[in-house]
Amino acid sequence: MILRLFLLCLALGAAGPAAAGQSDLLSPQQAFRMSAQLARKDEVVVRYDIAPGYYLYRDKLKFVAEPAAVVLGAPRTPKPGVHEDEFFGRVEIYRGALVIRVPVKVPAGTERFTLIVRSQGCADAGVCYTPQQQQVVLGPTPGAAEAGSSGSLVDSLGGAAPDKR
Amino acid sequence: MKRSTRIFLFIAVALVALVAGLALHPLSRDPVAVTPPGLLDTPLESMDGGKQPLGTWKGKVLVVNFWATWCAPCRKEIPEFIRMQERLGPQGLQFVGIAIDEKDKVAPYLREVGVNYPVLVGELDAVELSRSLGNELGALPFTVVVDRTGKVVHSVLGATSEAQLEPVLRALY
Repeated sequence: MILRLFLLCLALGAAGPAAAGQSDLLSPQQAFRMSAQLARKDEVVVRYDIAPGYYLYRDKLKFVAEPAAVVLGAPRTPKPGVHEDEFFGRVEIYRGALVIRVPVKVPAGTERFTLIVRSQGCADAGVCYTPQQQQVVLGPTPGAAEAGSSGSLVDSLGGAAPDKR
Repeated sequence: MKRSTRIFLFIAVALVALVAGLALHPLSRDPVAVTPPGLLDTPLESMDGGKQPLGTWKGKVLVVNFWATWCAPCRKEIPEFIRMQERLGPQGLQFVGIAIDEKDKVAPYLREVGVNYPVLVGELDAVELSRSLGNELGALPFTVVVDRTGKVVHSVLGATSEAQLEPVLRALY
């Protein structure tokens, strides 16, 4: 009886931690879900919904607009959390919900523009993702948009993004 | 046996078994080892500006490590790789780093920690090579072991260690 219990629990334990598996690591698009909205005619609001166990580096967030005639101001980021890193020391990071306000000047007559957001993050499980690029097409009138296309370094380098590092 | 003792024994056995089960579970994180065609022929940029394919080191037991200076878990394992290269290099072991990074960030880091094996750098090409080796998420660090014939026999996503690699390597010398 005790042997049977032992074997059952052994099997349960062995089946359990598939959570550490690659198949259970989220793709960067799932881990760092992004959407953006033209909240006012001169302000874009970017929202990140960061999955539990994942974080984004503050200093790796980069915003670019296309066409270049659309001018972005300095992004207003919230107070970051601090990650004590064995190698980098105190690193500023974001977890959970993140809202960034980016001032924008859209020239008259611009039908729509593309906001390109570059980010880089890691999982607490001990892996980091290559820099990600997500894009949202925004119209001249305030409204929301989900990240229209997203991708890793592969896509960003293949595309016409001005911010190639 | 008293009833309370029996219950205690049951719980103790269950806990021990559960922990043992957790410990025995293979790390399913690691992608299945695949050998993409042309693995040894893909040219990547070397630190001195030339192009070098992994085939440069064919005939040795290769440990190819994809990493970046901005990746903390990558920095954790590199000192172990340096020690292993020093100790096992004479037996035919060759580490090769592939940095998905900028050269001007990689160079000072290599000097700082004293990396004693070749490092190639890449962006798109290196990410693609890593994906073709089974790293679907494009995450770092990612390490593969290639035998003397050029076949990938082991791959690890996330930091690895001397203790984890040594049994795999021992079979290949």
